[in-house]
Amino acid sequence: MDRRGFANLSLKTGIVAAIAAAIPGIATLRGRAKTAGSKSPEPGDRLVFALGQNAGQPVTEGSFTQNEAVLAFPEGKSDNHDNLVLVCRLNPALLAAPTSLDGVVRGVVAYSAICTHLGCTVRFSEEPMDMAPFPHIHCPCHAALFDPHRGAVVLGGPAPRPLPQLPVRLNERGEVVADGNFAAPVGVVT
Amino acid sequence: MGLAEWFVERLALDRFRAKYLGKPFPVHTTFFLGEIALFCFALLVVTGLYLALFYEPSAENVNVGGSVMPAAFASTVLIDSHPFGLLMRRMHHWAAHLMIAAIVLHLLRVFFTAAYRKPRELNWVLGLVLLAGTIMASFAGYLLPYDQFSVTATAIGYGIARSVPWIGGAVADVLFAGRFPSPSTVPRFFAYHVVYAPLILSALIGLHLLIVLKQKHTEPSSSAGHSASADASGGRLISGIPFWPQQSALMAVLFLLVFAAAAALSAFLPVHPSGYYGPPGPATPEVKPDWYLLWVYGALRLIPGDLSFRLFGATIGSEAIGAMLVPGAIALAILLVPWLDRAPSSLYFAEHPLASPARLAMGLAGLTLFAALSVAGFSDELKLSVPVLWVVTLLSPLVVWWATYSLASRRRRASGTLGLGRN
Ligand code: HEM
Ligand code: FES
Repeated sequence: MDRRGFANLSLKTGIVAAIAAAIPGIATLRGRAKTAGSKSPEPGDRLVFALGQNAGQPVTEGSFTQNEAVLAFPEGKSDNHDNLVLVCRLNPALLAAPTSLDGVVRGVVAYSAICTHLGCTVRFSEEPMDMAPFPHIHCPCHAALFDPHRGAVVLGGPAPRPLPQLPVRLNERGEVVADGNFAAPVGVVT
Repeated sequence: MGLAEWFVERLALDRFRAKYLGKPFPVHTTFFLGEIALFCFALLVVTGLYLALFYEPSAENVNVGGSVMPAAFASTVLIDSHPFGLLMRRMHHWAAHLMIAAIVLHLLRVFFTAAYRKPRELNWVLGLVLLAGTIMASFAGYLLPYDQFSVTATAIGYGIARSVPWIGGAVADVLFAGRFPSPSTVPRFFAYHVVYAPLILSALIGLHLLIVLKQKHTEPSSSAGHSASADASGGRLISGIPFWPQQSALMAVLFLLVFAAAAALSAFLPVHPSGYYGPPGPATPEVKPDWYLLWVYGALRLIPGDLSFRLFGATIGSEAIGAMLVPGAIALAILLVPWLDRAPSSLYFAEHPLASPARLAMGLAGLTLFAALSVAGFSDELKLSVPVLWVVTLLSPLVVWWATYSLASRRRRASGTLGLGRN
């Protein structure tokens, strides 16, 4: 090998080695590893108010009347924003498939509160509105509309998928607890 | 021997004087738009240097007088309480709006006078990169106060990044340093906003200006005498006022006007009142993006959720169509303008906007589309349904195109050739 060939070869080897060495460095750009806070809901987790004066207190059957809803987290797991749920109390007679009725108790049904469009927190309609049925769940960001009676299917707007349901039951003290994990991936999926 | 002479001798400044201080500058109000953008950038750096003295790039909770809030939010509210602190924050924010507005108007000026033609395609592309970079710098800055609005806006940005087909999850996590809201995002965005963006933008602005210096600006042409002399000299003869002293005096006045405008807006119109919005919480407030992103927001509202298709194993859903495919296609069309316009060009002269009815019509139709999509962002307030907005969005640009084209052609036939007049 002449000197030129050797110089060329070392240059190329060096470039390949440098790129290979950089890959683990690039992987660190993904940020801090998930901590204890990123746990998902598990059966038996109490749901606690996410907002307001009652924040941190358990949601019970008596926390709301029919056609009301509250934002809640599984207790101790509020660090993972994807755990945010909208717990709604609806007329049990109107609840129908694709709602999983096994995960509903006395009209109390919980859906992920993370919009499947681009991840805003959805809201429960407080009163009837012109262009939508009552009650409904809507997103303040780009006006997606979901049907809480029927598995939070998309009624209108840009959301691509229903809000995943979180099965719930009541424990012996009448508190709403999770009865499993979300039925589908939460939020925006690629 | 005066102090000035002392420097002149040591730095051989007379050579520099002879070469650059006489550079001619065109005199036409629309040629000031780029300078306004530059002055806004200077204002951003100055106000930003003040903010950076007090701002804390951390989402960790701190206890301020009994209430718990993220450190970044607490430091922003603290800045607001300083003498002139609120004014500084508002001027920083208003200067960002003014800078983007000036860049957009500057781009329109270049478009309507066909100044993007060979050999200036380079600066057309560079200008668009500057616009995109400025918008990204603003987006990163928007998170920093870490209030309820900031966090919502960034969360939507994160959702958009995630919707990239195939690699969205990884792209979003690398850009936002983890799944947003994550404690690592604020320091990362602070680095983007305060180190990367100003460095990259100032380098690109410098390059943009060097290219103008090298290629020379297009000249507003009305007097036949000027045209003839420049054409005859092969473009070496340009008319205008010299850099020193006339143009420098104009620039100083213009800078003071930009400064005054930003200060007056900040004094009278609150912008991004973080203390009022409050620290981030789990619920999402009603937010609309800033005016320059309203069109993307409108597009996101118009694309129905069931519109999606599959491509090489990935689902391209409504969110990717609304936030990337539609804006991407529009951006690509704008980028390719110099190659789509095949008319023979004059190297030295700015064309009159009416000289080419097709270009004028395309430009106005594009602006109409921008406006119609922005209006779609107000569908709730205007109580307009999605189908109505679709019709408006598709029809209004066509109507504007047709009306402009026919009016401008008639006028051109009536008046012969046109050049950009002087004021
Ligand atoms: C390149 C153009 C720039 C743009 C478009 C821009 C834009 C913005 C925007 C929109 C905000 C949010 C402000 C608010 O809500 O009050 C912001 C915040 C901030 N910017 Fe900039 N900025 C730029 C340059 C700079 C520079 C050069 C620095 C510092 C050297 C800087 C430092 C900061 C800091 C520390 C904050 C957070 C503090 C606060 O909002 O109170 N910026 N920027
Ligand atoms: S994020 Fe909910 S509709 Fe876009």
